[in-house]
Amino acid sequence: MLTVLALAAALLPQERLLVAAESADQVYELSFDGKALAIENVIEVGYQATEIEGPHGLTVAPDGRHWYVSIAHGKPNGLLYKYATGTNRLVGETELGLFPATMQISKDTGFLYCVNFDLHGDMTPSTVSVVDVDGMFELEQIVTGSMPHGSRLSADGARHFSCAMMSDELIEVDAVSMEVVRRLALTDGTGRPTGGGDHGGAEEAEATEEDAAPAVHNAICKPTWVQPHPTLPVAFVALNGAHQVVEVDLNSWEIKRRFPTGRAPYNLDVTPDGKRLVITYKGAQSVGVIDIATGEEVARIPTSRRIPHGVVLTPDSRFAFITCEDKGATPGSVDAIDLASLKQVSTVDVGLQAGGIALFPSSAKPYLNR
Amino acid sequence: MTKPLFLTLTLRLSMGLLASGLLSIGLLSIGLLPATATAIPQVADEAPARTLRLDPVEITLGVGESVQLTAQAIGLDGEPEEAELGFFSRSRKSVSVGRTDGLLTAMKPGSFEVIVRERLKESAATQEGETEPKVRLSGVIKVTVLARPLEKLELVAPSHGFYAGTVAAFSATGTDISGAVRDDLKLEWTSSDPSVASIDAFGELVLHRAGAASVTVAAEEMTQSMELSVVENPVARLELAGDLDAPRTGDVIHWEVAAFDAGGAALDDVPVEVTFMARTEDTLGAASSGQIERIPGANRGWRFVADQPGRYTFYATSGNAVARSQITVEARNVTGSFKMVGHAPVRDTHTSDLWVWEGVDGRDYAVTGTWGANGDAHFWDVTDPASMERIATVNIDARTVNDVKVSADGRTCILSREGASNRKNGIVVVDVTDPRNPEIKSGFDDELTGGVHNVFIDGNKVYALSAGARYDAIDIADRGAPKRVGSYKVNAPSPSIHDVWVEDGLAYSSNWSDGVHIVDVGNGMAGGSPSNPVKVADYAYPSGWNHAAFPFRQPSGRFYVAAGDEAFPLGLNLTGKPTYPRGWIHFIDFTDLDNPSETARYQVPEAGTHNMWIDGDVMYVAYYNAGLRAVDVSGELMGNLYDQGREIAWFLTDDPEGYVKNAPMVWGPQPHKGHLFFSDWNSGLWAVKLER
Repeated sequence: MLTVLALAAALLPQERLLVAAESADQVYELSFDGKALAIENVIEVGYQATEIEGPHGLTVAPDGRHWYVSIAHGKPNGLLYKYATGTNRLVGETELGLFPATMQISKDTGFLYCVNFDLHGDMTPSTVSVVDVDGMFELEQIVTGSMPHGSRLSADGARHFSCAMMSDELIEVDAVSMEVVRRLALTDGTGRPTGGGDHGGAEEAEATEEDAAPAVHNAICKPTWVQPHPTLPVAFVALNGAHQVVEVDLNSWEIKRRFPTGRAPYNLDVTPDGKRLVITYKGAQSVGVIDIATGEEVARIPTSRRIPHGVVLTPDSRFAFITCEDKGATPGSVDAIDLASLKQVSTVDVGLQAGGIALFPSSAKPYLNR
Repeated sequence: MTKPLFLTLTLRLSMGLLASGLLSIGLLSIGLLPATATAIPQVADEAPARTLRLDPVEITLGVGESVQLTAQAIGLDGEPEEAELGFFSRSRKSVSVGRTDGLLTAMKPGSFEVIVRERLKESAATQEGETEPKVRLSGVIKVTVLARPLEKLELVAPSHGFYAGTVAAFSATGTDISGAVRDDLKLEWTSSDPSVASIDAFGELVLHRAGAASVTVAAEEMTQSMELSVVENPVARLELAGDLDAPRTGDVIHWEVAAFDAGGAALDDVPVEVTFMARTEDTLGAASSGQIERIPGANRGWRFVADQPGRYTFYATSGNAVARSQITVEARNVTGSFKMVGHAPVRDTHTSDLWVWEGVDGRDYAVTGTWGANGDAHFWDVTDPASMERIATVNIDARTVNDVKVSADGRTCILSREGASNRKNGIVVVDVTDPRNPEIKSGFDDELTGGVHNVFIDGNKVYALSAGARYDAIDIADRGAPKRVGSYKVNAPSPSIHDVWVEDGLAYSSNWSDGVHIVDVGNGMAGGSPSNPVKVADYAYPSGWNHAAFPFRQPSGRFYVAAGDEAFPLGLNLTGKPTYPRGWIHFIDFTDLDNPSETARYQVPEAGTHNMWIDGDVMYVAYYNAGLRAVDVSGELMGNLYDQGREIAWFLTDDPEGYVKNAPMVWGPQPHKGHLFFSDWNSGLWAVKLER
């Protein structure tokens, strides 16, 4: 009987997640057993009790032994904190640039690449920080574009991609030379000049205008996320201001396809099997699922709360986890979506303004019961 | 200078399996689990491993020099194998290295590291899906960069003469070929005749008797010497005079010393020392009774402050001449108390700052912000401080309304925003002509996107923090259409700001490690204006905790700025239990704007400061976990005011129903019409009266 129970328990998917509550200075550690999300730990982060430091981006080391959170507000530069998985003990930190946000670790170099979002409004080119996470040293700040966001690496870790939200660019960086190698001007397909049009507030709706877009700027598309395909030479870019996701051919460095989306697509991910895009619609309180082969949106799934933000997918392409920020004192939330039934299967409230999200690799599972 | 060594770095392969892994293998054998769940490497076994050969593993070179670094992967068979290796500096502003060619160039002296990393090209589905971390060759090369050789060594002698029975303090400065000061020099001092003049353990020259000697300083390969002629000390008599006959603790006594030879002639060139001995009234054994220091710029002036009441004996010495003077210091006796008047609790969330004002209808009102909540600002009728009434709440898109200010005419309130759902933040302009019906007039977020932590209103200008790095001057003459007219940013590599306060056309900003900056934004003393701010003075202290500043001028003409710390070295407890901050109030004497000096502090043990307000001779301090404090800041300030009995009263905001129960966390005070209003992070708005 015990053997049967053990087998049954072992068969249930057991995922471990991290979620940052940006206006609560907390990181939540969640578990998901295939049916329900549960809060396992709440880790207080930051350094100044009476100020919001804003934990924003999260990532986990490929071996799962450490996780990292970017702290948006510093004096004035933000920070990168390194925590030991399991004990959740702070084991290192280093200063980055203004408002460090999303990040990922390259399997090629072992370095962490974090965009310095610098949403403060003066629209000067910002940077991507490269960090040696063994010693927690910032090795370089690569100047990219205005308000860079969506820091993602190619599957081989050799190339880094980010979007310059306020200069409508997709930017590719060589992960080793740490130099910008290509820039792609992103357009909304209407013929309006990239980066030179009149924003006019047409894309703005309640709480959907992308993060901190200043009152006067020239961006049209406002790209907020890029995700390379795991096997194909393409990358998908969320055009928050144009309500589109575009597919960029990484060989020809051109936009090949456009997918209309719900209002204000923000983050996205590609299922590891390479078949689907899962996109948060920040202005539509929902998540879109697009079939990559056909380009059709196969589902639009409402989220539990307003302002969906981040998305991560399980390695088996079965589940998506979505963070929702919401507003004011309304708690943020995390939704689990079954990508087979295309329905939400669980939700859990977390701290204020849930944004960054990361999934532990399976190699970190032994830490589950600590 | 290179040290060519070969280092073999051994990387162990993880080969073991956990018991859970074994179970998974069993499950796999019956086809129930995917392959990725079968073996989870956890236990490191000893096994042959690939290695990395570095040449050199340590290197020493000079500034401006370059050297070639090499690295080679060694395979399991011990033979070199192909691997793509990269070189990366952990201190790129001090040593640079070619990432592929390994050419190292030293730029600044110090100890640094260059790391060598193997590139791994294997692909995988996603980072999060990665299950088998690869073993990466990795190594560290230690780099020591020597400073440029010493080019010039200068010996600096004291300006006074050399007299037996006194001490002379010498110094030396070394510079390199570029003219840069070498502050890393190890100086060695020697005397040619220690019986005439010897060097003590602290590098000071003790002059024993009349005679000739030379003093020499050596550093690296250079020396500098100076011939001394030590003469007999001519001082036959000293006079020691203080300026207070009946001082209290905390009063600063100024001492002057005059020296005379046997003939009664005044001697101005002979060094004199002054010290004291205390016999305090504290029978428990006072740890510290007072402090004495030379008055900067005065030849024979000292100042002294007593912490404890008792008898103090002062000694002036030069050679064999001694003068002695005794005084009795009385207790300061300024004790008073805070009388509790009213409490308007806010218990469902944290409360932030407050502002109290007389409304246009002649009644008295207060506004308080909220922290980490729903973006509310509460308005109160505080005309009767014993019965304060919440009359309105304005909700804005924010999580924290950290600061609230009301214009002098009582018509305009500014709310700061942080944590807005669209991250635009900025400020909100509210018409409070009728505080029972506050009306939002406009919002302004241009370049205030990162969140506005503090604001100040001066006339029709709002000073608002921007990006945590500067403050902007925003014209609100048209409350419906604010516009930025200027800004001020500290000229530093990474300027950071926390607060700004404006008085008499001077803006006092608190800039963490950059300290207090005083800027003319309309005073006229430096030709400044809101659109053309001009710095007139600044002062920074080492902790980097500068969080708030409040200026005050004394009737004597002394001009101080009280600079408050904020620090949380013991962490943060947002709910459930109290927080224990640290820090104190620094008193910076800005009387001479070109030469500010920090002369005093007010430090309550085991607690931390937040905001303060100085009204006449009394400073009210929101001392977070130590509650509200009132402190006598009259007269010249020196030493730790807390130790001197200058504290008048304290009040702890224990609220058993507070947001954090029974956890005083006083945020900010403001005197108004004879009462002292203050906000507490855990319990809301309070009113007390200081009784003396």
